[in-house]
Amino acid sequence: MEELKMWLNFPVVASFAIVLWLAATGLFLFSASKLLNRLAAGLSVTGTVALLVFVIMLWISIDRPPMRTLGETRLWYAIFLSGIGLISYFRWKYKWLVCYSLTLAVMFLSVNLNHPETYDKTLMPALQSPWFVPHVIVYIFAYALLGASSLVAIRILFVKQSGKAISGPVSMADNLVYLGFSFLTLGLLFGALWAKEAWGHYWTWDPKETWAFITWMFYLVYIHYRFRNPLAHNKAMMILAASFVILLICWFGVNYLPSAQNSVHIYTE
Amino acid sequence: MSNENSRKTWAHPWSYREGTIVTVAILLLGFALQAAGGGMVLRFSGFPWNLISGIVFLGILVSCYLWLKKHRAVKWLGSVKAALPAILGFTFLVLLMGFVKQDVVHQNSLVRIFGLSHLVQTWPFILINLYLMVLLGIVTLKRLTPFTLRNFGFFLNHFGLFLVLFSTALGSSDVQTLNMNCYENKSEWRASDRRGNIVELPLAIKLLDFSIEEFRPKVTIVDNKTGKILMDKNRQSFELLDRDTFDLFEYHLEVDTFLATSGKVGESYFAVNEPGSSPSAMVKVTNSLNGTVISGWICSGSFVLQPEALKLNETYSLVMLPAEPKKFSSEVSVLTNDGTSRIVMIEVNKPFRINGWTIYQLSYNEEMGRWSDMSVLQFVRDPWLPAVYSGIFLMMAGAVFLFIFGKPKNGGVENVA
Repeated sequence: MEELKMWLNFPVVASFAIVLWLAATGLFLFSASKLLNRLAAGLSVTGTVALLVFVIMLWISIDRPPMRTLGETRLWYAIFLSGIGLISYFRWKYKWLVCYSLTLAVMFLSVNLNHPETYDKTLMPALQSPWFVPHVIVYIFAYALLGASSLVAIRILFVKQSGKAISGPVSMADNLVYLGFSFLTLGLLFGALWAKEAWGHYWTWDPKETWAFITWMFYLVYIHYRFRNPLAHNKAMMILAASFVILLICWFGVNYLPSAQNSVHIYTE
Repeated sequence: MSNENSRKTWAHPWSYREGTIVTVAILLLGFALQAAGGGMVLRFSGFPWNLISGIVFLGILVSCYLWLKKHRAVKWLGSVKAALPAILGFTFLVLLMGFVKQDVVHQNSLVRIFGLSHLVQTWPFILINLYLMVLLGIVTLKRLTPFTLRNFGFFLNHFGLFLVLFSTALGSSDVQTLNMNCYENKSEWRASDRRGNIVELPLAIKLLDFSIEEFRPKVTIVDNKTGKILMDKNRQSFELLDRDTFDLFEYHLEVDTFLATSGKVGESYFAVNEPGSSPSAMVKVTNSLNGTVISGWICSGSFVLQPEALKLNETYSLVMLPAEPKKFSSEVSVLTNDGTSRIVMIEVNKPFRINGWTIYQLSYNEEMGRWSDMSVLQFVRDPWLPAVYSGIFLMMAGAVFLFIFGKPKNGGVENVA
């Protein structure tokens, strides 16, 4: 009963967050006033916190971490993307990034509103482990950070800027990649340690593992290229934009690949 | 940079161009060797040959570096210009693995000849791994001095990865994975490997009790003619029977009685607790569209009981699905060679370690479900695991380093070879 009640509230909470985030995006985009921008930041923080509270209550009521279905992971993406957008706004004052992140977060929530999925309460024994939560949270956080870095890259590629003005956004992309990459590495390694505990082997080249590894390799290429060729911004940004495609395949494309049937990592829809 | 375009290939200083040529040559050589061997599966030889070849490899690598570190080719091997194409070459192979389903038999002749369905055991994969280890080894040695904070972070990431690649490659042939079928109250010490060979273990297992905890079963609606589950992407097709009333499509369900284990007598079900009893429920279903009410029993069935569905109308029936396992575990007594025995509980995600073996709960007789008197345990021995774990922990520390210190200031230009 509890679970049902929780999901009945979802449209209310989601609409609340969506309205706040859209209002904040509008304020960020169309107003230069310091006061109104502060208000926008306040609105978006409220939206994120409301969603976070919802997810925590859902977690308690369904008696397992809400990280098993694709719909549930979209909730976490919405939280992390809006959160990362806000943190980078407070840190670097890039309004366009927070707008992008909020818009993406709105998109994730809207998908959930239109496709209420089976919010299954059963959880197979192999997933009942203390590793489950850190493994998934670290990954989702990494994906959200790396996704944000690719947004920066795509913007740089499309909005040509002079050599000097470009170094700010590029170094922000670097910061996001380094943070995201360190989380991605931890996610992979946590997964390896958990797999050893649950299945007896740390790495089995399961399709999700393979694609997560490919993602890791692409960002590794970016890091090395930036390190050796710090002035070749355009090529670096193209690598970063290409990495985003791999990231998307890894996150939900894998579910549709013929090579991925029967993987434990397929999110149930 | 400006004279890079006019530089002849193989004239020093080497660059990405030579890196690409070397990487592509290694891949081509690998695929040629693989095709020449007819797509065979490669296996590393086991102890002690893997250890000896590992020591020889390390010896050659370190002495080459010490004697030739001033040589421009060795300097180049420790640079991003060699590393990037190598990473891309490795990524190419892993991408192939991402698209071609691994460890199954493919009909496609290209897949068979080049071994694409078992890439990790093919020449191109092994050669590119070896090349990456050479590069990682040299760059690790190069950055050992001077001992600075930055170089320490560099060491964690690069040597950690080197150690993981090195120890997994050499250790793979020493991993033993054996399955043992244990029956309640019987001692067993024989297990079988993947090819079905029987191996006698230095310890004996007696299964004292196998038990399963199950979730409540789910109910769903199926088409009477096709037997297919009613699907609608905007609505839930399944509901867990863990509450008294709920809605499924246009039907309102009220659970009158739920029996976790039951047997059938006449037309009704009664709570019993014996092998083969199954969950059942008495439900009242109201069609919210036309108000018709139907009551009856549903049962998920077992190897003894027939499943029972409740016919809602000419088109649809309500069925109960078999309950899914929540937790399964084996209480076993482990007897070792030295005559000591102890009683332990083994369950999924909670293996038991003894004398270099790790014992996992793998499976059970699924047809009998919760009444299974057989438990499948898996025995894994992986003597190289400490080395792999050391590598993993170094890489974790490296990731934390990246998290704290981030990108090197001025893009790390001062370290560029």
